[in-house]
Amino acid sequence: MDIYLPIAEVSVNWPTLVILGAVVGFVSGLFGIGGGFLMAPILVFLGIPPTVAVASQASHVVASSTSGVIRYSGQGAVDFRMGAVMAGGGAVGALLGVELFRYLRLLGQADLMVALSYLLFLGAIGALMLYESLSEILRRLRGEPAPRKERRRPMWLYGLPLRMRFPKSGLYISALPPFGLGVFAGVLSAIMGVGGGFILVPAMLYVLRMRAGAVVGTSLFQIIITTAITTILQAGRNQTVDIVLSTILLLGGVIGAQIGARFAGRFRAEELRAALGLIVLLVGIQMGLELFVRPSDIFMIAPGVGE
Amino acid sequence: MMQAPPPPPPPAVVAAPAPDRSQATVGDLRVAAALTDAQVHVDSGFRGASIVLYGAVFNPTPEPADVVVVVRGPEAPIRLVRKSRNMGVWLNSRPVVFEGAPGFYMTASTRPLSDIADFGQLRRLGVGVDHLRIDAPAETRTVTRYGVRDVVVSRLGEDYLDWRRAVIRLKEAAQLYDTDAQGVQFVDRGLFRAEVRLPAVAPTGKYYAEVWLFQDGEPRSVSNLTMTVEKVGFERDIYEFAHRRPWLYGLLCVVLAALTGYGASRVFSRRS
Repeated sequence: MDIYLPIAEVSVNWPTLVILGAVVGFVSGLFGIGGGFLMAPILVFLGIPPTVAVASQASHVVASSTSGVIRYSGQGAVDFRMGAVMAGGGAVGALLGVELFRYLRLLGQADLMVALSYLLFLGAIGALMLYESLSEILRRLRGEPAPRKERRRPMWLYGLPLRMRFPKSGLYISALPPFGLGVFAGVLSAIMGVGGGFILVPAMLYVLRMRAGAVVGTSLFQIIITTAITTILQAGRNQTVDIVLSTILLLGGVIGAQIGARFAGRFRAEELRAALGLIVLLVGIQMGLELFVRPSDIFMIAPGVGE
Repeated sequence: MMQAPPPPPPPAVVAAPAPDRSQATVGDLRVAAALTDAQVHVDSGFRGASIVLYGAVFNPTPEPADVVVVVRGPEAPIRLVRKSRNMGVWLNSRPVVFEGAPGFYMTASTRPLSDIADFGQLRRLGVGVDHLRIDAPAETRTVTRYGVRDVVVSRLGEDYLDWRRAVIRLKEAAQLYDTDAQGVQFVDRGLFRAEVRLPAVAPTGKYYAEVWLFQDGEPRSVSNLTMTVEKVGFERDIYEFAHRRPWLYGLLCVVLAALTGYGASRVFSRRS
């Protein structure tokens, strides 16, 4: 049941990979995210070199996001204009991120950077999501009314040039903040191998104040483009994309994603967010832990860079 | 088990009035060896391989002789980092490049190497993991690659042995380096076998095997063999494609992923 991966140059048990793909796909369909932040650490745990894991699973994110966007666009819930602006930023960010990642690998600091990013971003976002959704659940249980939502947007969003109309998001703002958000997500996607949905969705909701219905679909659309570019860049610059690995992950992934999407309707939004927050927080802590725990061997072979 | 009669001596030896050359050959102390597989194919089912090296010792002298098998894989520079604790956080040092380290190295012998020959002899022949010529560049030089100052070698100083030991320890943990003091087994008088165990992560390329015959701590004879480990079929096609046309390959990966996602959503939406 083992299969040899030609780029990763290791042999792994393929049914395990299919199941992993399906589980991550299920999570991504359930929560409307790419699921990359879960996939990469598990792949590394299975013995796949981190650089290959990060690069190969980006294409898994492409697939699950594609089927997500198709579903959401059927409901008119994708703001393609907003998505395109953010994707433009994402392309720039991906370019920067792949170069940064290459540089860090040469310095031997790539895994430190990955661990730090996971700890910081996943830890912070996970804790916030958990806190916010738990307090909402508590309020509902106590029967208190929901507090009035802050509708005002930060003023600096309006002071910037290049204003554009985004009818589907209900916005008339400068294109710079969404573009900048895209750049940020692009860098993350190259370093952490994630789509960046877990950062984009809250940022679009709470900073840009987009119409909630369009947020997930639009972020998925942006993620497709960013991760597609990341995959091509990783393949072109670093030769770390393993097509066999990503195809096996895809098989389970697309099926899991569809099943997950079915289940999503059965839960309340804040319960889903609480669960997602918990998962995000746990993964962040788990990845960050290696920074503080005494390593079993203080020497380590840095992933080699071919001359 | 029945007491097997001793194997009849080779006819060449029995038929004594043979040409001089044959006599001379038999009189020499020498070793001959061969591999069961000179080519190891890495395909989708590859999970490592075990190759048997077998050979014969021609020893007309009464003194016993020792056989040492050394297998070296293609050279692969190693980049090693050391973690150290800074303000409660474990950080990596700058990487140190060790040149000339083989990607695979094993020795198998009839006895522990240190019993077979002395330190200087082993060092001269480069036999044994302790005598591998893996060196961080000796002089102080900084190597710049892609604009990154890679290494400042002089800083290693007296830590050098720690670093070197770490290379070997890590490679041994990955089953890429191995020392087996009982790896050479005599199956019959003068006939021996040794196993070369390649893990799935063994590098592809050309492997060199040396079979040394030692007597009284001196190398008396050597037999050189080569073996290639290569990707074949589908695996090789993908590997070559990914390295020769990396951009096209990346594009193909993305298109494949997008199509799979699209296909899945079509299939599932039709069903519901």
